[in-house]
Amino acid sequence: MKSVIIPLLAVFALAPQQSTPPVSQQKPPSAGTPKDFVLPAARRFTLANGLPVTMVPFGQVPKATIRLVVAAGNVYEGKDEVWLADLTGNLMREGTTTQSADVVAQAFAGMGGELGISVGPDTTSITTEVLSERAADAVRLLADVAQRPRLPESELERVKGNLLRNLAIQKSSPQAVAQERFSKLLYGEHPYGRVFPSESSLKGYTLEQVRTFQRDHYGAARARLYVAGVFDAAPLEAAIKQSFEGWTGAKASEPPAAPASTGRQFAMIDRADAPQSTLMLGLRVPTASHKDWVALELTDAILGGAFASRITANIRELKGYAYSPFSTLEPHPGLASWFETADVTTGVTGASLKEIYFEIDRLRKEAPSAAELQGMKNNLAGLFIMQNASRAGVISRLNFADTHKLGPDYLSSFVKRLMAVTPEDVRRVATECLTPDKMSLVVVGDEKTVKSQVTQWAQ
Amino acid sequence: MRLVIAIVTMATVFLPVASADLVPSVALAEQNAAPAAAKDNRLRVPVEYYKLPNGLKVVLSRDQTTPTAVVAVYYNIGFRNEPKDRTGFAHLFEHMMFQGSANLGKMGFIRLVESNGGQLNGSTRFDFTNYYQVVPSNVLEPVLWAEADRMRSLDIDIENLKNQQEVVKNEVKVNVLNQPYGGFPWIDLPMTANENWYNAHNFYGDLAQLDAATVDEVRTFFKTFYAPNNAALVVTGDFSPEQVKAWIEKYFGSVPATKLPSTPDLKEPRQEKEKRAGRTDPLANRPAVGIAYHVPDRFTPEWYAFGLLDEALAQGSDSLLYDELVRKKGLTGGVNAGINFGLGSMFDYSGPMLWQAQFFHDSSVTSDGLLSAIDSIVEKVRKDGLDQSALDRARVKIRSDLYANLEQFVGWGRANLLASFALFDDDPSKINQLEEGFDKVTPALVQKTAQEYLRPGNRTVYVITPGKTGAPNEKEAR
Repeated sequence: MKSVIIPLLAVFALAPQQSTPPVSQQKPPSAGTPKDFVLPAARRFTLANGLPVTMVPFGQVPKATIRLVVAAGNVYEGKDEVWLADLTGNLMREGTTTQSADVVAQAFAGMGGELGISVGPDTTSITTEVLSERAADAVRLLADVAQRPRLPESELERVKGNLLRNLAIQKSSPQAVAQERFSKLLYGEHPYGRVFPSESSLKGYTLEQVRTFQRDHYGAARARLYVAGVFDAAPLEAAIKQSFEGWTGAKASEPPAAPASTGRQFAMIDRADAPQSTLMLGLRVPTASHKDWVALELTDAILGGAFASRITANIRELKGYAYSPFSTLEPHPGLASWFETADVTTGVTGASLKEIYFEIDRLRKEAPSAAELQGMKNNLAGLFIMQNASRAGVISRLNFADTHKLGPDYLSSFVKRLMAVTPEDVRRVATECLTPDKMSLVVVGDEKTVKSQVTQWAQ
Repeated sequence: MRLVIAIVTMATVFLPVASADLVPSVALAEQNAAPAAAKDNRLRVPVEYYKLPNGLKVVLSRDQTTPTAVVAVYYNIGFRNEPKDRTGFAHLFEHMMFQGSANLGKMGFIRLVESNGGQLNGSTRFDFTNYYQVVPSNVLEPVLWAEADRMRSLDIDIENLKNQQEVVKNEVKVNVLNQPYGGFPWIDLPMTANENWYNAHNFYGDLAQLDAATVDEVRTFFKTFYAPNNAALVVTGDFSPEQVKAWIEKYFGSVPATKLPSTPDLKEPRQEKEKRAGRTDPLANRPAVGIAYHVPDRFTPEWYAFGLLDEALAQGSDSLLYDELVRKKGLTGGVNAGINFGLGSMFDYSGPMLWQAQFFHDSSVTSDGLLSAIDSIVEKVRKDGLDQSALDRARVKIRSDLYANLEQFVGWGRANLLASFALFDDDPSKINQLEEGFDKVTPALVQKTAQEYLRPGNRTVYVITPGKTGAPNEKEAR
């Protein structure tokens, strides 16, 4: 077991960043000497069946977080199986071969936890967070849910009905409508391009399909187990071995290969009389394992990923066009995208787009000042510490590095790599990766008012 | 379920802060005061509490798990108390606190925090408006300086006011006006259940009233409520107590106190008869039901009992309502409920409060059908109380949930409770008395509390009728 100490002296060595104040103003006092951040030490081992296990003692709160991450996300669904992963995950809450759903729910609750099954684009996570003294019991129960789900026919229609309702409700939100279309434009027929199923296909899924999906995608060769928090290591490790070593299940498989990048596309979706237009614009970018990824993270933060970012400062704090504009990078294994999204007042839809593209162009033409870049490096370094300062956060960062195969030094070298990025790197990455000519744009809004405002981007 | 874009909020009222990755947690106590080590196995959060001569309440709570710290300034003015013809004013004002002060220009505060590795936010709630930063611990001094600067000398001008009026109107649009179920149930239910204007108005604000706010009104509001003797400052995390105390004295000590206005009467009459209201939501395509009950006064034995009732009835998939409505009857897909629902927890408010629950359902299920299924469970608890196993689980869950509450956002959750108990009770050490309060609750008290507070007459029902049926009628243009 080895702790990694990240020296932060280099990170926050500069005095508080701000523009030079007028003479009449006082300057803020200087920051103190930064302390080293000790990345929580992880004990990692692999069970005989190939299941990788990570145990991270962390913090003092007497709780432990247990997460089994399985390569069983939506990316493994066939063309006519959208949300079959969700249906499978939800049906896995309905008891195990030996314990009914209410018994499982009561058992987790009695440990101070709850069973969480979260289906994502790439993986499905089975998680619970329990009081420390029950960590070993919780591992055993979670193992039962993962390996021996009952998948009862009796509950299929009810669980499906809940998904159908969620589908309808989600599709009434303009942000979800925008995201669905945007994903379609970016990923086409790849599973990432299929956000929502049709109502009729969801209705038609059979128990056989669920059982097949479960059988083909849940197994030790497709999973990783993480535990973080306060726990008694020896009995916990024994419980992990005892309850997971006998698991075989599905073999590993590769998700469909990343599709070729599409060119620039545009879609306008009418939402009659909407007081705001929901904008989503962006494109495919290099993946999280690419050497420019950290520079791309900084570029994103400078453009739209932070409160003090340029687009937010412009369209929110200067113009008042929007409340919560933001940009983000969305990494999947094998491909990634960047997008900016904003809900802007209908009458200034075109004006908002003009400012957003202006800020993108500006960063492509002119490298940020050393001070602006240093400020954003500090911001991301601070964020990195906070992301590693909770049980769920520690697991999430380790899982990110594992999912994207970023290597054992990824976390310990993150701050160093961040600090090595130059202003010119940011300009270059913005120029190479954030090309407006390749960006797709989705506008969900009141078409009769908005259409004429967006003609220049609708070609 | 795929995660549909999370709206990142800044200086906002209603949505929780930041990205999923950041969601929370850091240790509660110092290495030498780990809660697990306590003899009775109860939580022990270190609390140091004092007041400056100008009345500023100061709470320090050290935790050296990571080199981070939280600075939280809570003002004893929430959206209940805003001027009567200026709904949404308290929240609009919150936005103005990010617009610059004597020594920090527009964006100055935000850049100071972010460029030093910190995250920041603010929010307006029933009984307070708060501002907080989660930062690397070496930047505590400049952050304390900046908080003191805006408490002393907020810079309010017409340009920034106009800008933030637009931002806030956009916030209301994105969260309410252009959103299905916008404002349901967290605005709808208090407006229906409460009688007293302070508790019953639209606290997000009417757009026309937001526009009507003037610079003078903003200045007056600042002078009236934003004073050290109306605030609590909490610092948690990794710091040297002597150093932090010296900084607090240096930067906040000379901010002048003001004469505070008398506090309005927030009392609600005992509700005797069930109330029902509702609306057609043109953006929604499935019906929904919200219910509310007035809860017992804070820190009474009944209030603790109600906390356990909430756990047993509605928290988690082992709860009685989940079991009946979701698992057995299939009337809805989930139960979302709580005291101070959507805006906080049972620990961070002061005046009268509601327990609320919301249920989304299909048109094939009527709201009356759903309500009668709810009644069957509620009436059983009123008649028989909770059975031993449900009560035992409720006790475990409330302890576990309390820890989770305190761990939120790298220690902000702990600061939130300390600030609330300092502001409202002049006693932040109440944070260490909560577990005992729940432990003392007897099965008989649970039943007595259910009898009185889950009375049909104490209930309010709010129904959303969808204005849309089927899929949204959106066509693509090109």
